[in-house]
Amino acid sequence: MNENDMKRSIYDIFYIFRREFYTVFRDHAVLTFFIVLTLVYPLVYTYIYSNEVVREVPVAVIDQAQSSLSREFLRNWDASANVNIVAYCTDLEEARELMYQKKIYGILEIPADFSKAVYRGEQAHVALFCDMGALLNYKALLQAASDVAIAMGKQIQVEGLTYASSAHQQSTVSPVKIGEVKMFNPQSGFASFIIPAVLVLVIQQSLLLGVGTIAGTSRDRSRRKSMIPLNRHYRKAWCIVAGKTCLYMPVYFLMAFWVFFIVPRIFSLTQIAPKGELMIFLFPFLLACVFLAIAASFLSKEREQPFLLFVFTSVPLMFISGISWPKEGIPDYWLAIAKIFPSSHGIDGFVKINNLGATLGDVRQEYLWLWFLAVIYFVLACFLFRREIRRVTK
Amino acid sequence: MENLRSLWILMKREFRRLASRWLYWFIMLLAPAFCFFFFADLLKQGLPTNLPVAVVDEDHTAMSRQLARSLDAFAQTQVVMKTADFSEARRAMQRGEVYGIFHIPEDFRCEVSTGKEPIISFYTNDTYILPGSLVYKDMRLQSALANGAVQQTLLLAKGEGGPLIQAKLMPITVDTNPLNNPWLSYAVYLANILLPAFVFMFAMFTATYSIGEEIKEGTSGEWLRAGRGSIVLSLLGKLLPQTSIFLLIGLLYLSVLYGYLHFPLNSGFFPMFLAMLLLVLAAQGFAVFVTGIARQNRIALSFCGLWGVLSFSICGFTYPVRSMPELIQIASNLFPMRHYFLLYVDQALNGIGMIYSWQPYIALFLFTLLPLLTLPKLKLDLLEQRYLP
Repeated sequence: MNENDMKRSIYDIFYIFRREFYTVFRDHAVLTFFIVLTLVYPLVYTYIYSNEVVREVPVAVIDQAQSSLSREFLRNWDASANVNIVAYCTDLEEARELMYQKKIYGILEIPADFSKAVYRGEQAHVALFCDMGALLNYKALLQAASDVAIAMGKQIQVEGLTYASSAHQQSTVSPVKIGEVKMFNPQSGFASFIIPAVLVLVIQQSLLLGVGTIAGTSRDRSRRKSMIPLNRHYRKAWCIVAGKTCLYMPVYFLMAFWVFFIVPRIFSLTQIAPKGELMIFLFPFLLACVFLAIAASFLSKEREQPFLLFVFTSVPLMFISGISWPKEGIPDYWLAIAKIFPSSHGIDGFVKINNLGATLGDVRQEYLWLWFLAVIYFVLACFLFRREIRRVTK
Repeated sequence: MENLRSLWILMKREFRRLASRWLYWFIMLLAPAFCFFFFADLLKQGLPTNLPVAVVDEDHTAMSRQLARSLDAFAQTQVVMKTADFSEARRAMQRGEVYGIFHIPEDFRCEVSTGKEPIISFYTNDTYILPGSLVYKDMRLQSALANGAVQQTLLLAKGEGGPLIQAKLMPITVDTNPLNNPWLSYAVYLANILLPAFVFMFAMFTATYSIGEEIKEGTSGEWLRAGRGSIVLSLLGKLLPQTSIFLLIGLLYLSVLYGYLHFPLNSGFFPMFLAMLLLVLAAQGFAVFVTGIARQNRIALSFCGLWGVLSFSICGFTYPVRSMPELIQIASNLFPMRHYFLLYVDQALNGIGMIYSWQPYIALFLFTLLPLLTLPKLKLDLLEQRYLP
């Protein structure tokens, strides 16, 4: 390539960039995807989960023992942050009726022989019934009940050792102490777990929708259903891809900054990554997403089609990323398919760097994959445009 | 009679239109089939097993090795890493290679024997909440068992034993009754909502898109004429074929869930059939309503997309609506999937009388009636037949 060619190419790229700029900023549909969707969607989504955990699940209790011990059990249970006793019932039927009316989500029944069993030195049982419409309610109630059972059990054990010294009592009751630490998401919050993945997906999906709309619109407008105008500047495939990328990348630098740095801060989500390192990681992610969107836009034959093609893919993509569902439970062939989407590596790497404090070296594999995908989709996009150029100029 | 004949003609016309474009085939057949196979295949194991954890053993005694071995024996936990260095295990967790770390301190055995109360600690990574809580459960149980085993030895040594020893170790136990999902299967509660949510989304898209195309292709005048100028008749002729196709897909989903996979269906088939029928109708009702309001088809589609995607979260099957902010709790009523979810819990899962679920049934039905509000405007738009990009 001589110097003249080089100059021509650069001029073409600039021309295409300028034209693309007007296309994007004059078209409300594209702006909706590029700007509004990426601005608003993460906010709405995080807001839905902003309470993070399930608290004060309404329950009913049936206390057939009516003893001081059973009342103590119920008091302690009610005192836990997870539980809110809203009704005292006389039998299971009454409590069930309340459950059917959605007034309560769990029932705790203390049998009549509860305290007797304890005083006789037998094992005492309480029965917990849970509505399984939401698994998190069940978890909250069960955890609170077994915590109370263990704590009261220890007390009972200690009382049974009247002859022993207090140190001896302690070591008999719990010879081994147990320490539990929840790392990186100490309250087991729902937003802290699902939002990082959503943020990454929003970037990829909004690009797919936006660039798909641009492609569909230009096909709608051209008589020959072509993706490119009849214009001497649109003669080199790589110039077209480069020109478009020169516009999309800066727009998405801004949007990515909002999505990855500001949104988590607004909702005080975990952010333990050094900013610079995260940016270095996200650069090939954005690049791969842009090229994927350009290549995939060839599927969109008219302006309204991207919805029908791309929207539903978010949910399966979420599941194969290993966040909603652990990778160990996903068959290998789905994991292999997941590898061709930037979002899978993006989610993996972003979560590890941003939430677990991994270094760039720790996510080397994801990082290299993203560069690899960027190259693959760039080549694919160039190939598709070359075919389009040949079709148009014929 | 006349009306029935034109309805028949309209329906034939619509079937031809639907069959003539690959996009309709994609959204009515390919995409639903893909989602179905994908989730059925993904969730078929129920709970994931053999989740990787690391054991940090600083004690190196027979006792600590025994602890590690029995942790490995739990179905959901697999010890993939044994090390004496905690930071090595922590780094593995940061790389996402293990979901939990089980830590046995130095001189553990010695301290147990001398009554010094050593501390067993376990660490879980709740950034991955599902595997995190599964390995948490196993590691907590394992530490409790370790405790119990030591206590048991002590008590036996003192000559206390026999049938009451269990009561000595755990004076109070909680018997759990997870009603109607005793396996605590995630597959049951995910698949029951995910699949109908896709039917809902695709039915909305198809209805909105197919009406928009009439204007775009300039055929809306002809369409209305075929419906003898009646917007109601024309819409019925257009939507009934789609209703039947999506109802068929929905019923296929339901029969696989309840017939083939034997997920809980305690209500009998009819209440869920009714729920699915109303869900498809509500999807179309919502779609026509939005199409009537928005002059541009892409805006109507945007709304449908937003509603479809938000449905997955706001219906409350992973995170209960009761625990969401109040504003979202109120807004959740505007999503047909929310009502379908309530119906599923009442009917298929809990099998209670249909009378308890009258509200969600009525709510879904109201969504079906929504288009009545925008029909006049929709008719004007169709007559004007001007496509706005």
